[in-house]
Amino acid sequence: MGLLLPSAALILAFTLFPVGYNLWLGFFAKHSLRLTATWVGLGNYTQILADPDFWRSAWLATVYAVGSTALQIVVGVAGALILHQRFAGCDFLRGVALFPYMIPTVIAVFVWRWLMNDLYGVIPYVLSTLSIPGMPEAWLTHTTIMWVLIILSVWTFFPFVLVNVLARLQTIAPELYDAARVDGASAVRQFFHITLPQLRNVLLIVLLLRGIWMFTKFDVPWLLGFGGGAGEAIRTLPVFTYQRSFTYYQAGMGAALSNVMLALLLMAVTIYFVAFPPAEDETDA
Amino acid sequence: MRDRRRRPVSTTAAWTLRIGLFVFCAFPLYWMLVSSFKVSHELLASPPTFWPHEWELRAYRKLFYETNFWVYFQNTIVVSAITTVIVLLAGVIGAYSLTRYAFRGRTLVARLTLLAYMFPPIIMLVPLFLVARQFGLTNSLLGLALTYISFALPYALWILRAFFQSIPVELEHAALIDGANRAQALAYVVMPLALPGIIATAIFTFIVAWNDFLFALVLIGKDDLKTLAIGINEFFHMAVVDWGLIMAAGVMVTIPALVFFIAVQRYLIAGWGAGGLKG
Repeated sequence: MGLLLPSAALILAFTLFPVGYNLWLGFFAKHSLRLTATWVGLGNYTQILADPDFWRSAWLATVYAVGSTALQIVVGVAGALILHQRFAGCDFLRGVALFPYMIPTVIAVFVWRWLMNDLYGVIPYVLSTLSIPGMPEAWLTHTTIMWVLIILSVWTFFPFVLVNVLARLQTIAPELYDAARVDGASAVRQFFHITLPQLRNVLLIVLLLRGIWMFTKFDVPWLLGFGGGAGEAIRTLPVFTYQRSFTYYQAGMGAALSNVMLALLLMAVTIYFVAFPPAEDETDA
Repeated sequence: MRDRRRRPVSTTAAWTLRIGLFVFCAFPLYWMLVSSFKVSHELLASPPTFWPHEWELRAYRKLFYETNFWVYFQNTIVVSAITTVIVLLAGVIGAYSLTRYAFRGRTLVARLTLLAYMFPPIIMLVPLFLVARQFGLTNSLLGLALTYISFALPYALWILRAFFQSIPVELEHAALIDGANRAQALAYVVMPLALPGIIATAIFTFIVAWNDFLFALVLIGKDDLKTLAIGINEFFHMAVVDWGLIMAAGVMVTIPALVFFIAVQRYLIAGWGAGGLKG
């Protein structure tokens, strides 16, 4: 189709070609800034599998992805339920609730670094006045920085969940709730027996997308962690990949690590589509 | 939809939750704003002051006169604009043909589009960097814009597809029967109806380029070509981190986004329903 050509050409050039090139590069030892490359076969991959730093970064990325995605969904659904009600100022609050998503990541991370600053941070100060036993005094340290990373990511990305869930909530037939009320079902029962089943599909797609995007998120952990020793504790797989490629200039190794992420992504997508086959109208038209 | 919603709820519990949501979303931004106006010793005071005793514009003066802030700002706008124009042109045409023409492999193309939409940019980091170097597109705003196309276009196609699908093909058939050709039907019948979707897509694409950090980090080294994301990041590498300056930069980047966002909120929500924003 002639009309499809420009976008097909662009996608071919900018998406499929890089992916193919990346697969090829994974078989080479190559300096990021030099032109020469040496064929090493599966050498990069055997090296990756034997590298404890790789396993550690994969583990950290998993902790980050699972923790932040789960909390985003909880906060996003709660926020959507709050905004689904009618009250004075609900349009205003809707705007406010979407705003964290609009702020450039760099700004969001730096604001949170300031909020959580070990010496001058306002949140550690407020928490210290509550005198809760076992509450850490400083948060940007090895043991606690992962929590900061997760909370800041929830703040930044939960509006994505909120908007998708809210859009779906507005299409649930009110008659379902009328019937439940007539039967005397409590608000909690209504949520678990009507709302949640109706949200199932949107929550599944949101879970898939957010899970993938959080697992492969580079900028948030990088910007939160650099310039401090505690960065080590949030060196997730994407950060590890970046460092291999541009701190140690091992382009072949970086490509191989990207391919590992690609394989994980394809696995997640495949499992998803086998477990929850898409409706015809979603992919076939 | 409003008339179908339940009656207003105003219990204490409901208001507690609303205020909680408001504070969670707004407090970090409030803190950024007041921190940018505090005098140095108050900025570092313990306990912190929730409403500044003294206000000053020191941080803003430093931002405008002692840093390259405006250069970064202009570069970001240029890159975002180039990306948006190319993605919209290719996306509108591509999405239209995906929904209107039957051809072999259309389902496959649609699925690949979905996959590309999910695609995390980090996976294309090394190859795009090497290709950009090969073609002399490092330290180039055009090179940066081209890399943004690689992840903005698939998802623009994905969102636009949903919009075009919602426009009944019968409307075009009617136009064709009335003697219009394909191009005319597209221009006079389909485009006006798809306009909200196109605007939403333009906004999303612009935001992808506006927010990117990773590719700017690896592709741009010259200071006068830096975008806001990596330019502001540089403020962190100063000998003493000036939090007031960083917060002022944050405010200056946030205000245009806020104004823009309020102006286009209607379209944003339309687009979100159709496929969502990536990030």
